[in-house]
Amino acid sequence: MAAPLELSCWGGGWGLPSIHSESLVVMAYAKFSGAPLKVSFIDNTWRGSRGDVPILTTEDNTVSQPAKILNFLRKQKYNADYELSAKQGADTLAYIALLEEKLLPAVLHTFWVESDNYFTVTKPWFASRIPFPLSLILPGRMSRGALNRILLTRGEPPLYRVQEVEAQIYRDAKECLNLLSNRLGTSQFFFGDTPSTLDAYVFGFLAPLYKVRFPKVQLQEHLKQLSNLCRFCDDILDSYFRLSLGDG
Amino acid sequence: MSLVAEAFVSQIAGKVPFIHVGNQVVSELGPIVQFVKAKGHSLSDGLDEVQKAEMKAYMELVNNMLLTAELYLQWCDEATVGEITHARYGSPYPWPLNHILAYQKQWEVKRKMKAIGWGNKTLDQVLEDVDQCCQALSQRLGTQPYFFNKQPTELDALVFGHLYTILTTQLTNDELSEKVKNYSNLLAFCRRIEQHYFEDRGKGRLS
Repeated sequence: MAAPLELSCWGGGWGLPSIHSESLVVMAYAKFSGAPLKVSFIDNTWRGSRGDVPILTTEDNTVSQPAKILNFLRKQKYNADYELSAKQGADTLAYIALLEEKLLPAVLHTFWVESDNYFTVTKPWFASRIPFPLSLILPGRMSRGALNRILLTRGEPPLYRVQEVEAQIYRDAKECLNLLSNRLGTSQFFFGDTPSTLDAYVFGFLAPLYKVRFPKVQLQEHLKQLSNLCRFCDDILDSYFRLSLGDG
Repeated sequence: MSLVAEAFVSQIAGKVPFIHVGNQVVSELGPIVQFVKAKGHSLSDGLDEVQKAEMKAYMELVNNMLLTAELYLQWCDEATVGEITHARYGSPYPWPLNHILAYQKQWEVKRKMKAIGWGNKTLDQVLEDVDQCCQALSQRLGTQPYFFNKQPTELDALVFGHLYTILTTQLTNDELSEKVKNYSNLLAFCRRIEQHYFEDRGKGRLS
């Protein structure tokens, strides 16, 4: 008997069930694997938490971080990958690593570091969804965390200046998007006709980039030119999230 | 020689893993350079677009998991740090610089681990990640001689570099190399490359 699974995550906007990549990965995976999640969006009653959102709670467990949550769901027999071959499973791990190394820094930069975007869109959006005084502290903390992550993982010799790091991460992200587009081709999902873990990750990373309206949009513009990736996101939104957009 | 080799291999095969491991392994770059040179500058010319995407993805997996695990084991596992890493890292420098630089490097690595979410991982979790990575590599390699069948690519060079380092570097516990040894095709892959390209160095170091 499955204990009730409750997912606490950031809310949606711009047609998305959530604008936060990691939350979206978990929500998409749950839809693909049929896991009955009760989703609650962070709002003004939230008292903050020790772990990072998204967080899955059951009667006896609390799990954070998308990879761990997905592992937990798989152990509960909600497995979106059971039709995959061993090689496809291996490819999944590899492509997820590619997303995290090459695409994530630029996505983090677009949302949290690029000043125009952060101050006009990201910060107000997050601040409006959490209670005072956390609303004064948390967005700044998330922004600093993002910058930290970018600099610590990419700011190595010979890239010493932030501008050089920025140029490099956007180049890498565009290349990653091109690779994903090539790999997807004209298929509906990355492995055949049913969506799997990799589709959840790609959707989670791409959809916010695709839909959220930012002032500074270079990566978004690049993504929009890759029509198969846009179609991929729209298809998933239509098939799996249309009914719940009313709660958005 | 090693600096030149480092620059060359960096250019050809992406980020070089050996530097991080310290003095003992830097000298191993020589044969690796030969391996890369023997196959020409762009090892992945014969691959189509999808294969190139796959190759890059697997290279990131190796960087993401194996390289980070190696760093973790050297700098975040107290036993290894105390007995081996600290002394080895500081050995070229006089006192007190040796201690200061070693502590600084440890602090930097710990910061990076925290930023990518590895800060709270235990050694067992790290070893499990390495196992998962090796399993993926083993499944991808299958029974082929190289990752993209007959033709070695940057991915082969990178995987060989990391696995060779893991298998031959002395650490306080052998769990990391044991994880790799569980996968016989990966072991055979390393032996084959070692014998094929480095046979002029005398007997192999892989038992």
